[in-house]
Amino acid sequence: MTRPRRAALAALAGVFALTSCSGSAKPGDSVAAYQLTDRTPPGPGALDSFTWSLFAEPVSIDYALSFDYPPNTVLANVCESLLRWNPDLTTSPGLASSYTNPTPTTWVYTIRSGVHFHDGAPLTAEDVVASLRRNLDPAVGSDWAYPFRNVKSVDRTGPMQVTVTLNTPDATFNEYLAAAPGTVESAAALKAAGKDYGNPGKGVDCTGPFAFDSWTPGQSIVLKRFDDYWDPALRAKAKQVKFVFLPDETARVNAFESGEVDGGWMVPADSYQRLSASTKGKLYYGRNTTVADEVVSNLQGPLGDPRVRQALLMAIDRKGIVKAGVGGVGEVADSLVTRNTWADSPKETVDPLLKSLVQYPYDPAKARQLAASAGVDGQKVVIAGSPLDSQTTIITQAVQQAATAIGLKPEIQTIPPDKYTALFTDPAARKGIDLFETFWYTSITDPLDMYGSLQTGAFSNYGNWSNPQFDAALGQAVGAADPAARAAATAEAQRIAMDQLPWLPLYNDPVSVFLGNRISGVRPSIDYLYYPWAAEIGAKG
Amino acid sequence: MSIAVALLRRLIGTALTLLVTSFLVFSSLYLAPGDPVSFLVRGRSPNPAELAAIRSQFGFDQPFLLRYWHWLEAVLHGDFGRSYLFHQSVAAVIGARLPASLLLVAVATALIAVVGIGAGALGALRRGSRTDGAVLLLVTVGAAVPSFAAAIVLRSVFGVRLGWFPTIGNGTGLGDRLHHVLLPAVALSVTFMALVTRVTRSSMIDQLGREHVEVALSRGTPKLAVLRRHVLRNALGPIVTVSGLLVSGMLVSTAIVETAFGMSGIGSLLVQCVDQLDFQVVQALVLLVVAAFVLVNTAVDLLYPLIDPRVGRGEAR
Repeated sequence: MTRPRRAALAALAGVFALTSCSGSAKPGDSVAAYQLTDRTPPGPGALDSFTWSLFAEPVSIDYALSFDYPPNTVLANVCESLLRWNPDLTTSPGLASSYTNPTPTTWVYTIRSGVHFHDGAPLTAEDVVASLRRNLDPAVGSDWAYPFRNVKSVDRTGPMQVTVTLNTPDATFNEYLAAAPGTVESAAALKAAGKDYGNPGKGVDCTGPFAFDSWTPGQSIVLKRFDDYWDPALRAKAKQVKFVFLPDETARVNAFESGEVDGGWMVPADSYQRLSASTKGKLYYGRNTTVADEVVSNLQGPLGDPRVRQALLMAIDRKGIVKAGVGGVGEVADSLVTRNTWADSPKETVDPLLKSLVQYPYDPAKARQLAASAGVDGQKVVIAGSPLDSQTTIITQAVQQAATAIGLKPEIQTIPPDKYTALFTDPAARKGIDLFETFWYTSITDPLDMYGSLQTGAFSNYGNWSNPQFDAALGQAVGAADPAARAAATAEAQRIAMDQLPWLPLYNDPVSVFLGNRISGVRPSIDYLYYPWAAEIGAKG
Repeated sequence: MSIAVALLRRLIGTALTLLVTSFLVFSSLYLAPGDPVSFLVRGRSPNPAELAAIRSQFGFDQPFLLRYWHWLEAVLHGDFGRSYLFHQSVAAVIGARLPASLLLVAVATALIAVVGIGAGALGALRRGSRTDGAVLLLVTVGAAVPSFAAAIVLRSVFGVRLGWFPTIGNGTGLGDRLHHVLLPAVALSVTFMALVTRVTRSSMIDQLGREHVEVALSRGTPKLAVLRRHVLRNALGPIVTVSGLLVSGMLVSTAIVETAFGMSGIGSLLVQCVDQLDFQVVQALVLLVVAAFVLVNTAVDLLYPLIDPRVGRGEAR
């Protein structure tokens, strides 16, 4: 399952970011070169505590309701899943020590022995069953119901064995168990907390290297090291992590610079330059699965003609956006997923496919002709914009310019940040809007996570796009057990999507993380949403 | 009219105001575009049965007036419902954030009273002098500085560059809390301080020019006594009125300052809950703010007889 990048909560966040005179970082200045870091210098030292920033307060840390960066960033260190999503984006056994797929519709998980919950109780198959079943329970209202859509039943088939039966073959189901959908919580804790499970009063009780300690609403969440943790490789180095909620971008960057906060993921792009020159710490970039896209949310208007969508993409100065919006730290996207999501697919299928992708180089003149052939001259399109951050503003302006260049009449509708989220969930909120932007990442190493959301009738198919060939290819891919066959079918779906452009891919940018001078050891990667990254952070040697 | 009757009338008036407000708030939220259910089903495609279950769970399927009645009844019992956004009781959500906002408003109020009235009085007494000029200049500048701009400047100068104050968080313990709240309070009160200074200055100048003051002074009554008995007491009316309005208005204007300083209070909570249609929390917050507004202004009215005995005796004021 994928989701939009939610951003700062305060309506004025963008205004602060744009008006504050924060050193030398101006949008438009570009960082000369950037490189990805696999692992920051080792942080071998013992550490009492470090402080980490979140761009918003989680509304809950119930894994079933954790569908956004802030809760997952915290929860990744507290709760574990049946499988584990590693920093190199591969998947390996987690709380399931092994699994098999005896028939296309059965997945059998052997539960790891010797694992304890934070309250000391041992992990059993009952806990796994109770945890997974919550995703099927309408009363829970899990945000992860989608990966479970093909699940018929979840049963205990032995003291340490759980079997999931599917209605139809679906290999992505197993992959999702490396993310929040595969989280295992103590059945006793779920029962005891009831409706209050995961809220500031009750917290959670899982098996991760850190245990929930306290949550002061509006201010911070504190985790403490779990000394009985099962995996020696990921035993936490720090005794405590304190997450502080800092919705305002400038406040966040200031807190890095004043040393009040030791680090944070998702550094505001317009402070890249300022922070890479900082003496208080270092800025790193890592593997990502995020693509900045312009979603076409209305196919009844002028954008209903694929030629117009193609023309619009050709007229968007994507190189310019990368330069002005993220200081050059990124590259123009050639599809709706990054190359990282293909990492688990056979190379011989993927390489030719990536070479033969349809390209849409910047060519306003040709774009104008193409749009003219569709006869949409002078028609109105509404672009939703939001004062979230400088890159959002720059994208909106670039798309507006492109629309003008191909003869459309663009109109920008500015929407406050919290309301912007509604575009992704509420059809009524999308009414009258032709285009809006998103930063869409995949939670598993599989392009199907993205392309599945463009299937006919899918929840996040915001423009109600429908293409029978695309749906057929997708169906084939989801059902295929053989990785090569699956990659080939997915590639066909991607080819159709890139030809028809239900969404317009803009650019890919790396995951960013700032580390203050006291700490080190983290592996920068988008897997921080599901992997206990904080356990690897220690005092700098 | 006795004071008891007046008080009773005020109380009934207050209750009625709150009742009307509660209805307006309740109905306006339901008229707002967007469907709260859409936030509850984030990211998934619920089937109609699931949707119906969610609707009935939150009471969205009941007729409007019935919903209002149930809500009002619960509120009268002190139950503001459950926030669907925070998965907690509304009382817990607001209770966790209210103290920070109250401290912020309290410190800002103290600043307004001390600095505002002090500077105003100083300007009035030294009218035309260089000090008065400085006061006037500061008033003009202060009134023109929006709190978000003040927040940015204060934060970057005194927080980041000089490192005298923390730039984020609420702090723990009274001393630390005050240390955290001072910059935000200055940012919040800058405009209001300027306003109160201006009102104080002109109101005192007005009193200083009155005949009875001049007479008193010419008769050799000590200047300080005249100032206290005649000038300040008579000038206080407008000052208190303006201050009362400002203080109660401040409760809602804390959002910007709270955000800028990474503080968590009811201002930023209100913005968040309005945008995400968390009706239960918004209703409770608006009622709270209206109640604060009405109560502060009632308090101001009750203060009048103490400031000016003629009001208490029912004479014209």
